[in-house]
Amino acid sequence: MNLLVFTKRVPATQEEELRIVDDGKAVDLSKVPFKVNDWDNYAVEEAVQIAEKTGGTVTAISIGDKESDEVLRRAIAMGAKDGFLIEKEEILHDPGVRAALVNNFLKKEGIAYDAIFTGVQSEDDQFAAVGGILAAKLGIPYASMVIGIDAVEKDHLIARRELEGGLQERVKITSPCVLAIQSGINEPRYVSIMGIRKASKVERKTYKGADYSENANNSIEVVRWVYPPKKGAATMLTGELDEVCKQLLGVLKEKGVYQ
Amino acid sequence: MSYALIIAEVRRGVFEERNLDTLGICALLGKETVLLMPDKPYTFNENMYDTIIKAKTEEEVFLNPLNIAGIIEQVISARGKPDFIILTHSSSGSESAVYMAGLFSLPVVTDVSGYDKERNIFFKSYYSDKIFGEFKSSQEGTCILTVRSGSFKEFVGEKASAPKVEFIENVSVSEARTFVEYVEEEKTDIDITKAEFLLSVGRGIGNKDEIPDYEALAGLLKAVLSGSRPVIDKLWLPKARQVGTSGKTVKPKVYLAMGISGAFQHIAGMKDSDCIIAVNKDAEAPIFQYAHFGIVADIHKVRDKLKNILAG
Ligand SMILES: Cc1cc2nc3c(=O)[nH]c(=O)nc-3n(C[C@H](O)[C@H](O)[C@H](O)COP(=O)(O)OP(=O)(O)OC[C@H]3O[C@@H](n4cnc5c(N)ncnc54)[C@H](O)[C@@H]3O)c2cc1C
Ligand SMILES: Nc1ncnc2c1ncn2[C@@H]1O[C@H](COP(=O)(O)O)[C@@H](O)[C@H]1O
Repeated sequence: MNLLVFTKRVPATQEEELRIVDDGKAVDLSKVPFKVNDWDNYAVEEAVQIAEKTGGTVTAISIGDKESDEVLRRAIAMGAKDGFLIEKEEILHDPGVRAALVNNFLKKEGIAYDAIFTGVQSEDDQFAAVGGILAAKLGIPYASMVIGIDAVEKDHLIARRELEGGLQERVKITSPCVLAIQSGINEPRYVSIMGIRKASKVERKTYKGADYSENANNSIEVVRWVYPPKKGAATMLTGELDEVCKQLLGVLKEKGVYQ
Repeated sequence: MSYALIIAEVRRGVFEERNLDTLGICALLGKETVLLMPDKPYTFNENMYDTIIKAKTEEEVFLNPLNIAGIIEQVISARGKPDFIILTHSSSGSESAVYMAGLFSLPVVTDVSGYDKERNIFFKSYYSDKIFGEFKSSQEGTCILTVRSGSFKEFVGEKASAPKVEFIENVSVSEARTFVEYVEEEKTDIDITKAEFLLSVGRGIGNKDEIPDYEALAGLLKAVLSGSRPVIDKLWLPKARQVGTSGKTVKPKVYLAMGISGAFQHIAGMKDSDCIIAVNKDAEAPIFQYAHFGIVADIHKVRDKLKNILAG
């Protein structure tokens, strides 16, 4: 089975203080480190495992600036054969534009595949949309929140989708198809610096986004960025560590969960 | 007449509570509300909708993006294009929403949690709720939305008269994707939904080797240890200990969250706890918006100090 897998380079914002600049026109990410989108790490691992089992190859795809090449090299270090970078300098927030670019790319370059994997969502954009839009444009079936692939047959897959509250559903889906892979589906392998260095030696072509931009127009736009509305204010426990911990125990006693 | 088409979220015979949020945003948008659902007996207040269209098909057929697209085509050929197609931001809601956006080439904004009527702008979370984007459609015509649960339900109300009920008789069923069966979670002996006091750990603990020390702290506090999704994904704790939309919804007397940022999918599973205490080194972590008490500190230091005090 030949698989295409999306991998995106995203800012690691979890521990960063984010500042909105330019009158709300931009979020300052200049000091934020970048990394592979967590969900895509699981998607690449799943693709590589299936290719190892069934024979076939994995090719990674990324849309972004030159720096995005680093997540493609990472995918190659994990077992992908090649990585396509569809180069775009500006950030594309509209998932419809990203899906349209890849749709055009796959058709124009005549790329064959049995399945396409994406992550469930981008950590930054959080749309959970690119895979589904692409599937519809390609005219192939789609399943999201895939937390298990229970069978890979010649013409179909059996996928387990995560629903709410611990419930899952099993679906049969014909290939080619697009699956959005949920975190936790596997244990992504460790990637060493050596492995990435070796992957850098793989010779690859890059592709200019402009060549695949037909009908890839924004259908939505960000008017500006804002800080989320403040909800309630937590009472902050402050002081020396010892004091803070004693206050914390005081709260637990007051709430009756600790004597 | 301008209308909004609401796609009902139903599951195993239940009309989900989250449908109040898709209805609530319709009330804000001021549109005629047309609900689309499978023609099965669900219990809900029908008088909150102007029109209800019941598709004569099985629930599992309806909950499939390939089939729902065909049903919606029938609605549109009968009533014209809606201004909005609105779904819940759930597993199936978001799946169908984005597939339709691709099929019909329509704009889509997912995970909408606010609407500014004057400026006609939708708020959508970015960077795990640290920033919101103000979005609008850049084209005329139908826009697809998925809405975050809990965001709009306060805006719902009953209509003056009972809804018109219509039916869709023939639903074509795709062979390309079919439902096989539901898979239930395995039963385990620890039930975190029963605990009065949860000590919940997140990705901030760093690695698996830290777990025993948090377990020891939970032991000293007589709390039960639970976790956020990454902790379960990485197999640091078993699945039954996961708090959040795809794990358990908990309402303990005290929820002590250590190293958890406060992503919406986590918050949804614990926000109704009597008392939420959050420890995080990032003063901007969204969890502080939901907590009653907060501590900005290194969780390991807090853990070790607490253990010291409790042991000594
Ligand atoms: C469909 C879907 C379903 C999901 N279901 C769930 C679910 O059921 N439950 C769930 O939890 N998530 C769920 N998620 C994932 C969710 O979106 C977040 O990714 C997740 O909740 C983040 O977990 P976290 O807060 O532990 O990690 P992070 O967001 O990475 O946060 C880690 C936090 O730890 C802090 N930290 C780091 N080191 C320290 C230190 N030494 N001292 C103090 N603080 C520190 C950081 O400042 C940060 O705030 C779901 C996502 C999707 C798309
Ligand atoms: N710029 C991108 N480059 C590579 N993959 C992407 C990009 N944007 C989205 N994806 C893929 O689509 C998934 C869903 O993204 P989103 O719709 O932005 O939440 C991600 O997990 C990625 O696998």
